[in-house]
Amino acid sequence: MIFKFRYFLILFFFPILLSTYYLLPAGIIFADTDGVTLTVTISQNCGNGVTEGSEQCDGSDLSGETCVSLGYTSSALSCNADCNFNVSTCSSVAPITPSGGGGDYVPPSTAVTFFGRAYPKSTIILLKDARVAATTVANDDASFKMSLSGLSAGNFVFSIYSKDKNGLRSPLLTFTVSVTAGVTTNISGIFIAPTIAVDKSEVKKGDNIGIFGQGVPNTKINIFLNSDISGEFFYTTKTDKSGDYFYNFNTALLGMGRYIAKIKTTLKDETSSFSKEINFTVGTKNIISEFPKEEEKGDINGDGRVNLIDVSILIFWFDKFSVPPEIDLNSDGRVNLVDFSIMAYYWTG
Amino acid sequence: MKNNNLKFKINFYFFAIVFSFLFFVFCLNANAASLSLVSSVSEIGIGQQFQVDLMLDAQGQDINAVEGRITFPNNLTAIENVNDGNSIINFWAKNPVYSKNSDVVFSGVIPGGFQGVLSPYYKGGKPGKILSLIFQSKNEGSGIIAIKDAKVLLNDGKGTEAELQISNFQFLISNQIPIFEFPTASVKDTRPPELFTPIIARDSNVFNGEWFLVFMTEDKESGVGHYEIAEKSGSLKQNYSELPWQTAESPYLLKDQKLASYIYVRVIDRANNERITVLPPQNVRPWYKKYLIFVILITGATFLYLIWRIVWTKLCATKYSSTL
Repeated sequence: MIFKFRYFLILFFFPILLSTYYLLPAGIIFADTDGVTLTVTISQNCGNGVTEGSEQCDGSDLSGETCVSLGYTSSALSCNADCNFNVSTCSSVAPITPSGGGGDYVPPSTAVTFFGRAYPKSTIILLKDARVAATTVANDDASFKMSLSGLSAGNFVFSIYSKDKNGLRSPLLTFTVSVTAGVTTNISGIFIAPTIAVDKSEVKKGDNIGIFGQGVPNTKINIFLNSDISGEFFYTTKTDKSGDYFYNFNTALLGMGRYIAKIKTTLKDETSSFSKEINFTVGTKNIISEFPKEEEKGDINGDGRVNLIDVSILIFWFDKFSVPPEIDLNSDGRVNLVDFSIMAYYWTG
Repeated sequence: MKNNNLKFKINFYFFAIVFSFLFFVFCLNANAASLSLVSSVSEIGIGQQFQVDLMLDAQGQDINAVEGRITFPNNLTAIENVNDGNSIINFWAKNPVYSKNSDVVFSGVIPGGFQGVLSPYYKGGKPGKILSLIFQSKNEGSGIIAIKDAKVLLNDGKGTEAELQISNFQFLISNQIPIFEFPTASVKDTRPPELFTPIIARDSNVFNGEWFLVFMTEDKESGVGHYEIAEKSGSLKQNYSELPWQTAESPYLLKDQKLASYIYVRVIDRANNERITVLPPQNVRPWYKKYLIFVILITGATFLYLIWRIVWTKLCATKYSSTL
């Protein structure tokens, strides 16, 4: 019986151990690409008393507008049932917009509203199906809100990234959303990864190296260092009220070799996606790091952006031989799906 | 007794290894992305149209490129249409062109990657549509519409190939099965393709450094059919039907390399809705380079001079005769 039970244990645990071994790396990859938890909801966008998305007004919420601000003389503005302004009660002198006068029914617009966090006063760029659709500037607390209206119903690939005050760019945060006709779809929980840079590209072992960038103000920054020689290291620091962080640490404990650093930030129960990865070497001398240039691997025409022009050049060379080296992104002598995949990763729109 | 014990041990190890292997394969595949061909019907009458969708399930991975080939038994069915409306693919490296009896080859990219379609109506991500194929059944029999040579790549900046599971579509065509009305035929697409802005560009690696035009848009319902381009100098044309339209693909080598013409780009979806975008001339010649103006001025001046000469001669003649 004991003999059988031993084999039962082996039979039970061996597959679990085996599968754990193979599942673990996959789990890390999964977490690396899916750090952000997005919430997708729809607004009962007309009739809830709050002006949202493409609405001009909702009930008594007139978005701060009056007849005067709309170009009329009196101030008896009200809201129609379809959440457009009712200007029929305003004294008509100089109407600015022809809509909302109690005329034909205007069907509610199909819209998407994005709520998230980036860096204080940073530029946020929103891509719709890989093309720039809107830009905005984040508030002092790094929060932002953006809206797109007049959309068709269907699947849209939205991507968001931000540029900090030093011009450093976050990675692209991309999500595919099924948009429903006639309602506003709200996407919240967008948490853009902090930016990252190092002050030395090579640091003399035992000297200090600084890792810096920008994120959401007063949040915890988790720094991950990885090296083939010395393994993994983990540090934490915090952003200040401007969202800046600077972590200066001594490299005495690190072995000589090349390191990859990346960070993510947490705020209460929300976590950002991982930042871009940045390299430095622990060696025998100090080399001050050049400020990272906005050069991306897929920027074939060198205009600082990876967009429709670059992908069109790749399409031109697709499945052809004797490809110019600057177009062959993986240097295998031809343009194939791998080159498109590399370009898609560095996409800026 | 000894033999029985040995037999038991061999059996035990055999089952342990097989069980472990199956468990391992099952667990490994649980994280593999999948490409599936799905349809609402699998038993089809003769002469019936039916739709098969090619779906990508990322299974938690981040996928940014996909390619493959769809094969079908052309003695049993023929392709009527390929529709990329509402596709998760943003750019086709190779457009999924088709002919009635040949394979459909596709190769597309999703900048930023795909992890699943989010919606307010369910939790998590669902598979996304790559394209739809409309078939028409021809003869009785059973067959498989299959995905071949498929590849999906991770959004990791290296183009790493992801684990992939394939799910083909099996069907039965019989004259015993009644023909039903094809559902997509009743859905009418009346909306034009999405707004778009073509870009004029030049690069030493394309068209020998000459100016070319790039353009791309989407149609969420029936999908983009094709693009047409017309280049016309002079004033902006209001009557688009008079323009010399030509079917075009991006990138398109511009005929007017001086960029002095209006460029009209027309996109037509598969339901024949169209959208036209016009780019104004990039290099409008300054007035002093418009030689026609000089010709008119010189002709006018010559004409006035001649009139002046005639009038003056007549006046002089009149004055002279009156003096006499």
